[in-house]
Amino acid sequence: MFTCKQISKVLSNEDYQKLSPFRRFWLKLHVKFCVFCGKYNRQVIESQDMCRCYKDSEEQLATTRPRMDELQKDQLKALLSSHSSKVEESK
Amino acid sequence: MPDAQHPKVEIAPPETWVDRYGDYLYGYAMSRLRNPDLAADCVQDTFMAGIKAFERFDGSRDIKFWLRGIMRNKIVDQIRKSIKEKKVDIDTEDEAILESFWYKYTGIATTNPDPWQFNPRKAYDNTEFWVVFETCIDQVKEPARQAFVLRVLEDQTTEEVCKVMDISANYLWVLLHRARAQLKIALEASWTGKDVK
Repeated sequence: MFTCKQISKVLSNEDYQKLSPFRRFWLKLHVKFCVFCGKYNRQVIESQDMCRCYKDSEEQLATTRPRMDELQKDQLKALLSSHSSKVEESK
Repeated sequence: MPDAQHPKVEIAPPETWVDRYGDYLYGYAMSRLRNPDLAADCVQDTFMAGIKAFERFDGSRDIKFWLRGIMRNKIVDQIRKSIKEKKVDIDTEDEAILESFWYKYTGIATTNPDPWQFNPRKAYDNTEFWVVFETCIDQVKEPARQAFVLRVLEDQTTEEVCKVMDISANYLWVLLHRARAQLKIALEASWTGKDVK
């Protein structure tokens, strides 16, 4: 993994944190010093870090997200109870 | 029924799922699909699939996360469906980028992206930043947003995303490039200055 194109391909195919330590080392070294792809790929790495942190923080966001409509909930409850009783009967 | 003799977590009966997990799953689906009707359909499909597969639930993890695992597949199905029904306009591949000198010889779109107007790393511990981040993902235009959701948020492989969206790997790269660029612009517009306290 040495050329700019190979580095870009790896970064577009997977999160760099999932690479083996050896490959990660060479990738970061290339990106740090390369005058051609460094600036661009540093931002790709930044974006990957950001998205990983977002996914780790997602559970805290559950209360800020939109909630289900009460009417929809009632309809779904009725559907679930009829469906689960059918499943029980079929056993 | 799950292994009732050795449950590691509390196993909630299906009748209580809507009250316990309805809002959580709906919020999760909304963060990926951005459409209230599709999100509600997704929650319904998830619960139905959950009831059918309930026998296979071994109680080794919280049922909320088990249901979320089912829902992730349903979200992919919903996106596949909306693309098949052509609700999303997948335009032709961006020849300008793919044929450009930098893309052909270095695999990158541009050597000179503008630097961030704020240091994003400083905001990672701030929940408010992630709320803004979520609204900024919503501002990314389709189909780049869907590619971003599948590839980055739902951890699908490049091959899987290409199959779901029926696009080439090169075009997926273009879509992800657009999504990242739009997300950066939206974040800078919404967050710049807020981290200076």
